[in-house]
Amino acid sequence: MRVAFVTPRYGRQVVGGAESAARQLAEHLVASTGWHVEVFTSTALDHITWRGELEPGDEELGGVLVHRFASEAERGRAFYELDGRLRRAPTLASQEDAERWVDLNGPSTPELVDALCTSSADVAIFYPYLYYPTVRAIGQVPMPAVLHPAAHDEPALYLPVFADTFARADALVFQTVAERQLVQRHFPVASRPQILLGLGTERPPAFRRKGGKLLGLGDRPYVVSVGRVDEHKGSKMLAAYFTEYKARRPGPLALALVGPVAYRPPDHPDLVCTGMVSDEDKVDVMRDALALVSPSALEAFSLVVTEAWSLELPVVVNARCAATREHCERSGGGLWFGSYLEFEAVLDRLVADAELRRHLGRQGRRYVERHYRWPVLIERYARFLEEVVRRGKIPLGPAGAAGGPGQGGSRVRWSAWLRPPTASC
Amino acid sequence: MSPHGSGEPPAPARGEPAPVGEEPRVLDDYLRQVMAEIDDEVQRHRGEIPVQLERELDEMFLEHAPVAVRGGDLKDALGMVDRAAFVDPVVPVSSQRPAGAAVKKTLRALSLWYMGWVTHQVSTLGLAVSRALHAVDAQLGELRDRVPPPASTRVVDEGSSASWWVPRAVDALEDARGRVLHAACGDGWLVDLLTAEGVDAYGVDPRPGKVDDAELRGADLRREDPLVHLQAVRSSSLGGVVVSGIVEAMEPARRDQLVQSLLDRVGGRGVLVVHSVSPAAWAAEDAPPEADLAAGRPLRPRTWAHLLATWTVETVEGPGGEDYLVVARR
Repeated sequence: MRVAFVTPRYGRQVVGGAESAARQLAEHLVASTGWHVEVFTSTALDHITWRGELEPGDEELGGVLVHRFASEAERGRAFYELDGRLRRAPTLASQEDAERWVDLNGPSTPELVDALCTSSADVAIFYPYLYYPTVRAIGQVPMPAVLHPAAHDEPALYLPVFADTFARADALVFQTVAERQLVQRHFPVASRPQILLGLGTERPPAFRRKGGKLLGLGDRPYVVSVGRVDEHKGSKMLAAYFTEYKARRPGPLALALVGPVAYRPPDHPDLVCTGMVSDEDKVDVMRDALALVSPSALEAFSLVVTEAWSLELPVVVNARCAATREHCERSGGGLWFGSYLEFEAVLDRLVADAELRRHLGRQGRRYVERHYRWPVLIERYARFLEEVVRRGKIPLGPAGAAGGPGQGGSRVRWSAWLRPPTASC
Repeated sequence: MSPHGSGEPPAPARGEPAPVGEEPRVLDDYLRQVMAEIDDEVQRHRGEIPVQLERELDEMFLEHAPVAVRGGDLKDALGMVDRAAFVDPVVPVSSQRPAGAAVKKTLRALSLWYMGWVTHQVSTLGLAVSRALHAVDAQLGELRDRVPPPASTRVVDEGSSASWWVPRAVDALEDARGRVLHAACGDGWLVDLLTAEGVDAYGVDPRPGKVDDAELRGADLRREDPLVHLQAVRSSSLGGVVVSGIVEAMEPARRDQLVQSLLDRVGGRGVLVVHSVSPAAWAAEDAPPEADLAAGRPLRPRTWAHLLATWTVETVEGPGGEDYLVVARR
């Protein structure tokens, strides 16, 4: 089987986001199946400018053959002007403006589209929906097209140009039920073959050092929030909530914010902001925490939550975040808050109830083992891709049927909410 | 507090893989109980925090939360409009520079007549918009009180591969051109049968947990209400649909919606298969009380023929007249 991924950026330097997920899928596919996997991408690393920082041409990375194409233009002022205008009322944008938005959004790589269309891949996998390579290539490729939309409820999703992008997908891969519902609210793609896949989670490395020691907290209990410390990620809200919590609940409990700092919260004796740490330190800090708090309302999947559950760490999530709340409801591994008072009550309960923490952690871990361990996930994905290839390209409007009546035997079973039939009925 | 009492199996030691068992079919009962207790706790503590501080903290929560997502409602949006409706012309004058505050204060005094005139009009507009939205909210609330929410689709008859009608359904669909949908699919037993015959089949089922295992095995099954699902299907894009176990108890308006969706979504030369309990079985003495209490009643086979008048319809009665099958070809 020959698989081609199409993604605007690709490389170890690209951390987080849809492109990083695409790389992990590609590398795990090669490792697990031995398939020939190649990637069609741009020479850019920075998604703000698409500046060509890598050399055009081919290279091998993690067993994957990467074809890089330079963007014809960097993303500049013209894009932001148009985007600013269209995002106010994206559903009212003209097709012409929306097409121009795609071209300006970039990375503008017509050579990539040509190369993909002439490649010998059995299936083309587009990741995510938003950029030029996906929009311009998905309707042209001769092989079946699989779309990982990685869609958020964002203005661009409402632009008229994307209706065709989704319609051209022969199959769809979603990270969460919430993403599927969002996409199906906008585009009539429900009958297309689909899979709910999510992201793979590695088993945690072995214990090295005490988390409290790494944080300088000694034996104090603490909760942890992992990821970019950023106002948009809810870090400011979390810091303010925790500060108020400590004002009302004096005691040893601390909060550790672990990750690169875009927003620095005010100094507070119970609040530790570590900045970037190694993966090993991150795991050690998480392992010894009472709970992980994910304050962001805008997560598409949240690998941090599944990583926490790998460690049997209970999680607390933002009630407005469809993805993380869905994880909690499906797994039974976490609680959620939608106001300060809820945050306070949730934290009170978790701090006081060790049995609850253990229960949530175990439920979360069971959920991760069942859905998001790489071998499980890759096996499902590989089977799905084989089906897509077997099915071939799906025409937009099928028709036809035949067949005749048969015959058979048993009685109706009123089994779902009506009683099963008795001998007398 | 123990979630399972004394019957709970021993937990794996930390660091060992947890057994890969079935995840909760619906929201974990224990979790539901904990969240209910947390809600009670929130109610007990309401009023302890100064109103202004609580409002600021809640605004901080809403600042980066998409209004449209779960939990976001018109009340939240209205709260944001109300908070933003008043434009204050009295700008702050504090400054880090020695004379800054005095200069700002002077400028404010000089321009206040002008700024006040402009901001008054903007605030008036904001308040008018807010009032209109509150009126809409109130009317929506009244409507919600008067009109009961539509019930989700209920599955009456599970069906199984041993059912008398299944070979006929499979036979009718084996040459379908396009994907075939089974609603409600349960654990995918009919999808499996159709797939084995070379049909490109998939299924939806509204019940929690029904499709989970099969979905993990790789079957294209989804937990979705069939009506909601059909709304997101392109016109004429299905080669066939099997509807079993859901039309009997459906409210008439929802059944009409289902029929209209089916007529639109099944393509040219497509096949529609409907399996239903018969009205006689529904009205029988030994039918369970739920049959009386349901919002809808099963249709007679001839009524399906009437609804699908432009199609070629064949109806077959099951053994004992308890159920029937409709096979309609476009």
